[in-house]
Amino acid sequence: MTKALAIQAKSISKTFRISEDSHNTVKHRLFNLFNPPRSKRVEALKSMDFDVYKGECIGLLGRNGCGKSTLIKLLAGVYQSDTGNINIYGTTLLMNLGVGMSHELTARENIYVSASVLGLKIKEIDDIFDKIVDFAELREFIDSKIKFFSSGMVARLAFSIAVNAGADIMFLDEIFAVGDMKFQEKAIKVFESSWIEGKTVILVSHSMDTIKKYCTRTAFMKNGSLVYFGDTEKAVQMYIDDNH
Amino acid sequence: MIIGILTDWVRRSNKAERLWLLAKIEFKLRYYENKLGLLWALIKPLMDIAIYYVVFQTIMKQNVPAFASYLFIGLILWNFFVESTTGTVQILHTKKYLYEYSNMNKLEIYVSTLLSNAIGLFFNFIMFLLFFNFIERGTTYSTLQTLWILPLFINLYILSLASSLILSNIYVIAKDITQIWQVFTSFLFFLSPIFYKLDIFKERLPNFDYLNPIAGIIINARKATMEGARPDFKLFVWDFGYAVILLFIGIYLLNKLGSKAAEKL
Repeated sequence: MTKALAIQAKSISKTFRISEDSHNTVKHRLFNLFNPPRSKRVEALKSMDFDVYKGECIGLLGRNGCGKSTLIKLLAGVYQSDTGNINIYGTTLLMNLGVGMSHELTARENIYVSASVLGLKIKEIDDIFDKIVDFAELREFIDSKIKFFSSGMVARLAFSIAVNAGADIMFLDEIFAVGDMKFQEKAIKVFESSWIEGKTVILVSHSMDTIKKYCTRTAFMKNGSLVYFGDTEKAVQMYIDDNH
Repeated sequence: MIIGILTDWVRRSNKAERLWLLAKIEFKLRYYENKLGLLWALIKPLMDIAIYYVVFQTIMKQNVPAFASYLFIGLILWNFFVESTTGTVQILHTKKYLYEYSNMNKLEIYVSTLLSNAIGLFFNFIMFLLFFNFIERGTTYSTLQTLWILPLFINLYILSLASSLILSNIYVIAKDITQIWQVFTSFLFFLSPIFYKLDIFKERLPNFDYLNPIAGIIINARKATMEGARPDFKLFVWDFGYAVILLFIGIYLLNKLGSKAAEKL
């Protein structure tokens, strides 16, 4: 069985340098030319290789601070890998509590900008515009700036854009924690019905039920290393054992 | 990288639409937020012209013919350059929402922001043409040579894009580039032939029109729009080369420093 690649990662790694005093001005750099900043190296991700195929739903498990978020930012092309290389085939959308939205713009403008960044043409956005607004339940606030929105409203709008516009590869970081119970039910429903069909999804969640239900393969991470990548049941078991 | 962008263009044709959409929204944000709206974009250069006119024509008696038009064209080009550079030093910070959650090409953010400035310049240029042809006395009418403003504008756009890329990517590692650039632009402003008589400028600062890339563009723009003459081609080619070389440096910096913007800013 040959499948099309969605993401190809070859020996990628990421190390953050955290300096105690920030040398981020010209003045500071000049005055401390012979006194380089003391920096701590934090190895967020240790070298790893893997492939993700189109249409797969991949789970990502691990305890807090194990490098999940760093990994998805690398895979989404937001961060640059220190070593190796990543090939991303398609547009990506990273979604945690919000997607990229400007608080200075109105909901309407944000819908157009975000959907356009995700690769849709204006005409296509016109077609799904009403669907996005209705799903987010924001019809009467459509022309207000989102800086006046509550965090729940922003999150609903973000989710709605992601659901209706969608990128080729979606990184979903605990998205089912959005909105009230009614909205969550709706979100899960749409997630189950049609949304993830044909899309490549990388799902980060601490809910074992969600991972077990949707993911074909699951990765388990510990201290920045990819410990296991394969069968979902086995990965979940490893994660549960790690927590005890 | 440039080839990559061009092939991308052919493959996914929503890029042109996206650039225009972002430019329109940026333009609207800048001008429709305040009470005077778009009018402000037109009043600002007129007020600047009035000030410089009083200082250099009335008080210092420079005796430049059609001095108001002379200032007008110089100032609107200069303002485009300043808005596109000083105004975009922090662009990777203010527009973070665009690249923080997706793999959008950062260069598009620059191109669209400068496009929005270009809309403003377009309105100002129309105003200039109206002023030059109908209000300014003692001048001839615009000729076909005025069309040379288009290649000159492309030159200015590339130069501004290049400077913007260089500055905003340095900003990722050195925040005080904002202040340094402000000092540098006021220096450059007084060393550009914006309100001086061109002969004096050339005499006192020989060859400076070649060193300062914006000076050549302003000199040539005046030739085309006011004198109905062709631009000085040697100067034009020189400035174009200048802008393209800076653009390569800018793109290099974008790949080198800008790619770390998401984690550093």
